[in-house]
Amino acid sequence: MTLLEHIGLYSLLMYKTFSVPQRWKMFFKQLWLEIEKLGANSLSITLIISVFMGAVMTMQTQMNTENPLLPSYTTGLVTRDTLLLEFCSSILSLILAGKVGSNIASEIGTMRISEQIDAMEIMGVNSANFLILPKIVAFMIFIPFLVIYSMFFGLLGGYFISLFTDLITPSTYIYGIQYWFISWYIYYSLIKSVIFAFIIASVASYYGYHAYGGALDVGKASTHAVVNSSVLILMFNVVLTKLLLA
Amino acid sequence: MIQIENIQKTFGSNRVLKGITSTFETGKTNLIIGQSGSGKTVLLKCIIGLLNPDEGDILYDQRPLSEMDKNTRTQLRTEMGVLFQGSALFDSMSVIDNVLFPLRMFSPLNEKAQRDRALYCLDRVGLQGKETLFPSEISGGMQKRAAIARAIALNPKYLFCDEPNSGLDPLTSIKIDELITDITREFQMTTIINTHDMNSVRTMGENIVFIHQGEKDWEGHMDEIDRSPQSKLHEFIYAGYAQSKR
Repeated sequence: MTLLEHIGLYSLLMYKTFSVPQRWKMFFKQLWLEIEKLGANSLSITLIISVFMGAVMTMQTQMNTENPLLPSYTTGLVTRDTLLLEFCSSILSLILAGKVGSNIASEIGTMRISEQIDAMEIMGVNSANFLILPKIVAFMIFIPFLVIYSMFFGLLGGYFISLFTDLITPSTYIYGIQYWFISWYIYYSLIKSVIFAFIIASVASYYGYHAYGGALDVGKASTHAVVNSSVLILMFNVVLTKLLLA
Repeated sequence: MIQIENIQKTFGSNRVLKGITSTFETGKTNLIIGQSGSGKTVLLKCIIGLLNPDEGDILYDQRPLSEMDKNTRTQLRTEMGVLFQGSALFDSMSVIDNVLFPLRMFSPLNEKAQRDRALYCLDRVGLQGKETLFPSEISGGMQKRAAIARAIALNPKYLFCDEPNSGLDPLTSIKIDELITDITREFQMTTIINTHDMNSVRTMGENIVFIHQGEKDWEGHMDEIDRSPQSKLHEFIYAGYAQSKR
C-alpha cells in the first residue's frame, strides 16, 4: 500500500471515529475503562522510568559539568529543563507508544481477525466510533497527568542522587531545579504530549482496525503501529518545538 | 423473506459469484451449501451487507438493500442476528454482557428489562448459570449458544449463521442445529445458514441452495436430494460416505 493510500484510509477511519456516539452512556462507560487501561495502568512504568532517568541525567550532567566556570547549580537546572522540555513529553511518549500503541493495535487487531468488529458492524454499531473514540479521548485526557507525574518523579530521581551520593549536595540540586524557572516549559510539554497521545492512539487504532489474516498479522500490525507512531512523534516534535518555542 | 437477484461478485480477476438468484422464506431454515471456495461465505457476506455485490440486488421483505441509505441500513441491521463461524463473542465482556450489548446499544428498554431479556435469551439457549463467565471460560459449543443468544436478543427478523457447527463434535452440532431450527420457527425468522455439514443438510434443510464454483447448481428440499439428477450435488453430499465405504 502506498503512503497516500494509508493517509486516505487513516482519514476515512478518523472521519468514522469522530462522529456522535450512538449511546453516550456506553461511550462514558468505555471511556472510564480506557482511562484505567491506557492511563492508570501506565503509572507504574512511568514512575520507574522517570525516577531512573532523572537519576541518570543528574549523574551524567554533574560528571560532564565539572568545570569551575560553570556554577554548581547547573546540574539541577539542566536536569529540570531536560526533563520538562524533552523527557517527560517526547521520550515518555515514545515509551508509551510501545506500551499503549501495541496494546491498542493488538486489541483491535484481534477483534478484527476474530470477526468481533464485523459482529458489531452487523448489529448496526459504528465500530470505529465505539472502539477507537474512547481510546483516543481517554489517552488525551490522561497523558497530561502522566507528564506531570513523570516530571515530579524525574526530579525526585535526581534528588535521590544528591541525597545518596556525594556528586552534588541536596541544597545545590534544589537550588538548581528552582533557578530561572520558565513555567511555559510545562505548558509546552503538556501541549506536545496531548498531540502525541492523539498520534499514538489513532495510529495504533488504524493499524489494528486494518489488520487482516491471523495472529501473525496482528503482530505485524502492532509493530507497524509502534514504529510509525514513534516516527510521527519525532517528526511532530520538531514541528511543535519550532511552533511553540522557537 | 429475503430475495437475492443475480448476485455477482468479482475479486480482481476471480469471479466468485456468477449471478445467483434465490428466495429464502420466513420461518424456514434455508441452507447454502457447497465446497470450500465455492463462494458461499462471499454470498452470505453480500446478503448481510458486509460486501457489496458488483451486480444484482438483495431484497429484505421487498426492500432493496442497494436503495437503502445509511440510516435505513442501520435500522435494518438491528433486525438482523448473525452467528459467526468463530462465534465472535467480545472477549472483554462476560457472557451476559455480550447478550446485553445489542440491547444497551439499541433497545429502548430500561436496565432491568434489558437484563431480563438477556437472561431469557440465555435461558432459551440453555446457558442459565453461565452469565458471569467470560468467553474464554466456556466451551466452543457454549460459545455458539451464547452467540445465538446475542443474535436473538433484539428479536431479529433475519438470522444468519456462518458454519454454525464448525469445530464442534457431532452431538453438540445436532443440539445447535435443533436450537437454530426451534428458534427460527418460534420467532418466525428468516434464517440462512451457510454450512457444509452433511448432518445439518439432512436434518434441517427445508430449502437448500447448492453452490458450485460460484453458480447456483441446485435448489430444493432435503427430501429432493436423492431424486435430483445433479451429479455434482451427489458427489458433494455423498463424498464422505463414499470415502468411508472404500
